[in-house]
Amino acid sequence: MIQLLANWILSFDILSGMGISVAWGLSLFIVAALIFVFVAANAIVLVYIERKVSAFMQVRLGPMRVGKFGTLQTVADALKLLQKEDIIPRSADKVLFIIGPWVILVASVVTFAAIPFSDTLLAANMNIGLFYIVSISSIVVLGIVMAGWASNNKWSLYGAMRSAAQIISYEIPVGITLIAVVAVVGSLNLQTIIQEQAGTGNLFHWIPIPLPNWFIFHSPFLFVAAFVYLIGATAEINRTPFDIPESESELVAGFMTEFSGLRWALFFLSEYANATLVAFLVSIVFLGGWQSPFADYEGTQIGFSIITLVAIMWTLFVRAKTGRLSVYPLGLSLVITIAAWLFPGFAIWMASPGIFWMLMKAGGIIFMLMWFRWTFPRLRVDQLMYVSWKVILPLSLINLMGVAIWMWLTGEIQF
Amino acid sequence: MGRLHAEEMVLNMGPQHPSTHGVLRLKLTTDGEIVSHIEPVIGYLHRSFEKHAENLEYQMITPFTGRCDYIAAMGSEHGYAMAVEKMMGIELPERVEYLRVIFAELQRIASHLVAVGTFGLDVGAITPFIYCFRERELILDLFEMASGARLLYNYIWIGGLAHDVPPGFVEKTYEFLDAFDEHVAEYNQILTGNKIFVERAADIGVMTPEVAINYGVTGPSLRASGVNIDIRRTEPYSIYDRFDFDVPLGQGLQGTIGDSWDRYYVRVLEMGESAKIIRQALDQLPVEGDVKSAIPRRIRPPKGEIYFRSENPRGELGYYIVSNGKNVPVRLKMRSPAFSNLSVINEIGQGWMISDVIAILGSLDIVLGEIDR
Repeated sequence: MIQLLANWILSFDILSGMGISVAWGLSLFIVAALIFVFVAANAIVLVYIERKVSAFMQVRLGPMRVGKFGTLQTVADALKLLQKEDIIPRSADKVLFIIGPWVILVASVVTFAAIPFSDTLLAANMNIGLFYIVSISSIVVLGIVMAGWASNNKWSLYGAMRSAAQIISYEIPVGITLIAVVAVVGSLNLQTIIQEQAGTGNLFHWIPIPLPNWFIFHSPFLFVAAFVYLIGATAEINRTPFDIPESESELVAGFMTEFSGLRWALFFLSEYANATLVAFLVSIVFLGGWQSPFADYEGTQIGFSIITLVAIMWTLFVRAKTGRLSVYPLGLSLVITIAAWLFPGFAIWMASPGIFWMLMKAGGIIFMLMWFRWTFPRLRVDQLMYVSWKVILPLSLINLMGVAIWMWLTGEIQF
Repeated sequence: MGRLHAEEMVLNMGPQHPSTHGVLRLKLTTDGEIVSHIEPVIGYLHRSFEKHAENLEYQMITPFTGRCDYIAAMGSEHGYAMAVEKMMGIELPERVEYLRVIFAELQRIASHLVAVGTFGLDVGAITPFIYCFRERELILDLFEMASGARLLYNYIWIGGLAHDVPPGFVEKTYEFLDAFDEHVAEYNQILTGNKIFVERAADIGVMTPEVAINYGVTGPSLRASGVNIDIRRTEPYSIYDRFDFDVPLGQGLQGTIGDSWDRYYVRVLEMGESAKIIRQALDQLPVEGDVKSAIPRRIRPPKGEIYFRSENPRGELGYYIVSNGKNVPVRLKMRSPAFSNLSVINEIGQGWMISDVIAILGSLDIVLGEIDR
């Protein structure tokens, strides 16, 4: 994308005199700014969605006053945070205190450079994309420890120490789970990983249920791996039920306790950037990234018809069990199905790969993360370590072995 | 390299902390995450209730009692009113007794809802808390109908009630009860059986019956340890002997008897029992009767002293009143259940992690207004 942008800049007569290196630098800057804008806007939208989702789960309405349905609430909150006094505690380590939030933010924003939003829309098509993301995102822990230590507050220190232990522990199973996918593809390039998942096929290659060729349906092992990764990643980004570094009821606010105003907003920004990153990674690695789940437009029509049938059954089930009538899933799927049958163009668009599918999948994962957060209690530190070292890590190792054996048995690789 | 210098760190939890249930301060001596000693520091909410009481007429003390245990103001008022009535030998109309029981039990449900919800909050589950407050709101609506207030009622007066309940109150209470069982099932679904919640609460902070009795722990926390003492049953006051209800005990369903999970679950079960009592009381409620007919003109208890105890949502609430025959008590001492319940925290919280100490504190269900008085 940077190359394309540079070429596009040079194609103007007035600008062509600047030379390739200047054009390259300019487009680099533009792309970086675009990514940052995406992260910031994304956080504002996600905070609103999270507040609404939590409100609906808790029989509340959530923000309703600022703007229609409270849509401008997070904008107002962000403005309020910008105006707040910037407090640095007297006994804090000033340099680390100032650097800490920025380290976290930069580490989480920079990872988006390798995320392919569609087949053309990505900042840098690295051949080590996956490795880059995993390694860069682990720098976050440095910033957290900096912030926690620099605050000179016992609660912050506890939060930072917990966070360091947690993130480092969970990086190992997460990495090994991703290696299982890399073993299948044979590449660390995220575009290659996505392209491998094109088309439709049978579940686990031999059960005759037509499903997309996503890696979650590749083999039973990768099916488990997807969930292992989701759990591990939830822990890595410090979200409930693994939010012990900032556990509100224990450590006040963990490593964020002493931060206020803009610095605190940076933590918030990076928190949502990380959640989005995990959602993108899950959809890229296991759910086919920007690939459409439907092979062609007939597939779209049939696929959505099946989804509507499922929605009808689900609605009837809920009606029988709780006596409540929830019409939204049914209505939505019905509308899309009718549209897919009436307008072939719409069906073709649905069947074509693109940023729409990427955002849909990532949105679904983010919704799941929110769902976790507002239903589960929080684990204790040692229980968290138990889950990491004694459950998830062995599981991911077994998965890696299993995937290798599976591929040998199905003849995908030969020795 | 010299020897690594290691020492225990004193961590000051509170008085401003999200999970100390008010303005409690805990001095935790910590070795890493492990807490080796807990010292509760109280008094941040001291309002000198007992000294005030020595200078106030009996009927003026009633609003103060509600301000002690502000989560269960009806219970405190009920206990105080009964103590003075017993001193003066007042016979109450049936309707007053029934209404008082209805309010006391509604208050018990409301108080336990707060306890259950905040315990969930302490272990990180936010949504159950909101669900609990949704139902508490309905109870507060009922209280508002009757007394006009939602937190501090001054409704149970010595010798009667401030007003009779308005028309429609009984129907609304029935409505609330009908929906309530379903809601309790909801809490059990989202919290009680949750694997993470069980991991966080079961086997944590086990209180053996001996420890509980030695420290004077009462109420649901004591019953969770398997000790069958409920003053409504062992020493029935008011008209509690007329109702059919069970006293739930801790059974160690998820771990050991007397762990935090038991203390939580006993409260959940007690809400159901209270609902049963309210239903019976509503069924038997006499239609006729003036709630103010027995209120004495002058409240001057005869010379003497009394210790009267009743079962508050948090445990045994006792009032020791010394009278010299005048309209002002010579001495009024309140035996606060939460104070004794809090004193056990060092014994059962030692050696656990910081997160567990918060869970244990939450499971004891303390109210600082009552501890500091």
